[in-house]
Amino acid sequence: MSGTGITDVVRAEFDACLAGADEDGALGLAVGLVASGLSAEEVLLGLVAPAQVTVGEKWASGEWTVAREHAATHVSRRTVDAVAAAARGTARTPAGAGSQGHVLVACSDGEWHVLPSHILAEVLRLRGFHVRSLGGDVSPYGLLSDVHQNGPDLVALSCTLPWNLPRAHRQIETCRSAGVPVMAGGPGFGPEGMWAYPLGADLYAADARRAAEALLSRWPPELRGESSVQAGAVEAYAMLVRQHPGLLEHSVCALRDGFPGLRGRSGVEHEEDAEFVGRLLDSLAAAVFMDDERVFTGQLAFAAGFLTARSVDPGCLREIVDALAGRLSESPRALEKLSAGRRWLAEQGEDLRRQG
Amino acid sequence: MTEDGDSGQAPVQTPVLPGELLDLVDEAVVMCDRADGTVRGFNRAAARLFPRLRLGEPVSASAAEPLARAAARGAEQFDTVHEGRRLDGRRQSAGGNTVWLVREVGSAQQAEAALLGERDRSAFLEETARRLGASLHHGRTVRTLVQIAVPKLADASVVVLPASGRRTVWHRAGPGDDRSSGEVTVESLEQVPKVADALHGLQPRPAVVRPQEMDALDPVIAGELIPGETGGALVVQLTAGGVPAGALILLRGPARARFDEADIELAHQFAVRAGLALATAALYSQQAHTIAVLQASMAPEPLPEVEGLRLGAAYRPAAEALHISGDFYHVAPSSEDGITFFFGDVSGKGAEAAVLAGHVRQSLRTLAMTTTAPEPLRDLRLLNDVVISDGSSFTTIVTGSARARGDGSVTVEIANGGHLPPLVLRSDGRVEEVHCEGTIVGAVRDPDFSSTEFRLRPGELMLLYSDGVTEARGGASGREMYGDERLADALAGCFGMQAASIAERVELLTTQWLAGRPHDDISVLTLQAPPRRGSAPLRQHHAPGAPGAAQDPESR
Repeated sequence: MSGTGITDVVRAEFDACLAGADEDGALGLAVGLVASGLSAEEVLLGLVAPAQVTVGEKWASGEWTVAREHAATHVSRRTVDAVAAAARGTARTPAGAGSQGHVLVACSDGEWHVLPSHILAEVLRLRGFHVRSLGGDVSPYGLLSDVHQNGPDLVALSCTLPWNLPRAHRQIETCRSAGVPVMAGGPGFGPEGMWAYPLGADLYAADARRAAEALLSRWPPELRGESSVQAGAVEAYAMLVRQHPGLLEHSVCALRDGFPGLRGRSGVEHEEDAEFVGRLLDSLAAAVFMDDERVFTGQLAFAAGFLTARSVDPGCLREIVDALAGRLSESPRALEKLSAGRRWLAEQGEDLRRQG
Repeated sequence: MTEDGDSGQAPVQTPVLPGELLDLVDEAVVMCDRADGTVRGFNRAAARLFPRLRLGEPVSASAAEPLARAAARGAEQFDTVHEGRRLDGRRQSAGGNTVWLVREVGSAQQAEAALLGERDRSAFLEETARRLGASLHHGRTVRTLVQIAVPKLADASVVVLPASGRRTVWHRAGPGDDRSSGEVTVESLEQVPKVADALHGLQPRPAVVRPQEMDALDPVIAGELIPGETGGALVVQLTAGGVPAGALILLRGPARARFDEADIELAHQFAVRAGLALATAALYSQQAHTIAVLQASMAPEPLPEVEGLRLGAAYRPAAEALHISGDFYHVAPSSEDGITFFFGDVSGKGAEAAVLAGHVRQSLRTLAMTTTAPEPLRDLRLLNDVVISDGSSFTTIVTGSARARGDGSVTVEIANGGHLPPLVLRSDGRVEEVHCEGTIVGAVRDPDFSSTEFRLRPGELMLLYSDGVTEARGGASGREMYGDERLADALAGCFGMQAASIAERVELLTTQWLAGRPHDDISVLTLQAPPRRGSAPLRQHHAPGAPGAAQDPESR
């Protein structure tokens, strides 16, 4: 995103504001860019969005605590509001283009990463769309009720985590059955949104700018999507969801047996371990639902990096995968994904040995 | 019709028909110089179907009625019953002449065609019911309704909605992809009696309307379908159990056959389904509007911006679809450079609890107007009387005030009426409970409330929460309560965050704990003394070596 008028110096300065949770500094800088003639869209997509990716990376690498990451994110959100307000004040927005359109922006249930949908909502508003935003973790009832009450022309659904894909699927079905087309967006839908169309989304956009352009070039959006999720996959997924508590307990026990050092940890730490294993289970279930092992191996890759950054032996992932395979011998679909996970871990292990 | 365009030229001489050859063909063949012009030749099958056909004479209604009628409306095809025979004809041209090819449809073919037609009509009606049944939004239902009717029933369709004043709204789809809507006066509608009757639910069967009757509705009808040129118009009422929901006007262009009996029956069946869907959506929309107004009046107001103080809140009602709750909070700037606030939880949930919560909010706001300085204890005593006189419910509540001091700290005074004690996050990362107890409000005539005052140094924060947070059931087993201890630990992990993001974080952790299970109303209010600039020491809370730490990167 070079050549947009946002220099590396500006970028570094903004990153420093986020790192120090310096709201005044961040707002002053971003609003100053708009005042100096940069479009709000450029500031949102060229400065705030990439800075927020860095924030996520700092958390994943263990450099930042959750608290620090949230403090930085709060500053990003305030910046988005301030930039949008400043742009409306200058009235340089391309007027009228999408003025007929009514878009509802929502995150599926279980999705708390609100910032991308927040940026999308503001970018669409700046392009002239009438936008309502429901924020994070929207229940299917809440979404359906809003669709019936307010009659949007389109629902823009954000999903940043692939383990939420089965829930995103339910939201897509809910909207489409009410006659409202759905545009999917966010890294949860996979590289190039490869999981968006199989879930029945009518449109996919990689970022807010492309979302706005796709809608402006073809309005009103039409119901075109069709879910290709297989009934067998849904049944196997449902079984994993039902067995979740038992599987979780079993894998956490296996993890402690394999890594006795974990036994002496406090109650809170035990819960954190359980949550970590729970995410792997959710990802396995989502991989079964999508019938795509990459949903699972992708989460293993993230987990391996996360553990390594915290000086924990990623070999414990193998322990968890084996424990799950021992309990899921009745489910060929789950076993298939676990085998893929095991292969992926073995390849990673070899890579590490070769490097070592 | 003179589309062959040769009427002004000398008739083109064509080779004589190989008549004997054509007589072997089962199809009737009639050749004329124009669609309705002079007959130049015909075969034996044509003579059997149209015995009055004569060479050199025109194709008149008396000679071959189906041909004459199709020619008159410029049709290239026809499907009609003539003297007891079902005839299927089409127009071709050959050597500058018009050739009519007419086939008698046998009874088996006729039955098959009828069956296919019936299947096609049921599929259309089923699709109509499915698409209209899915939407409860009135606007979307009307737009979908007019779109489904085109092209199956007509070239354009218009729905006129029941009038609520001197004007009313119409929506149109067609011709083609054209979509529009607008308003029309009731006066113009009444000049078309059949439309007015349909709008009043007094037109039980579809009525064919003559073009000249529609003049008053010109602005509603697409330019290219202005009466006089149309293939016909059909007016159908949309009702549900006698309640009028609108009038449907179906319009056909000149190239299309007029509405026949089968079309009228299909339009009627369509209107029965569409009327039901439209009436249901209208009723839902009225109720949804009422609910939205009530929701707006019951939802907490946005937090004020106050110099020297930071505020945050989260609000997640149990009845998420309705967004009403028995939890309530309110923060108002006070006259002496600070705020007054209250935060509480009415017993029960849903609409009944929300109504009492509304009373409590109103009462406290009225009380606030009667004094210049905040008096939390006095407010609680008066509120106790109000809730007792209100009926059988109770509420828990914390009232209070906060004021920023010159040194960057904030003094807080609270009085408690049976609510969970607030937590305070100190600048050394410790979490304390504020000791301040009191009777639940509305339970006894002579309650015992207490108040306390404390100070928040820069960066320190007070958290008020409802029992929906600590009583959330979930976790690994799905049955465990979130509990005070987890909340205190979670709050300790929030050190360095802003009031607004801490409120949201508590909501997030509770909701994740629930993992989609049903819950009570969840509300959180945070109040923070702003940290000194550049002094936010964001300490590392998770010791290295822990695989855990809640996985919730804000961005990946």
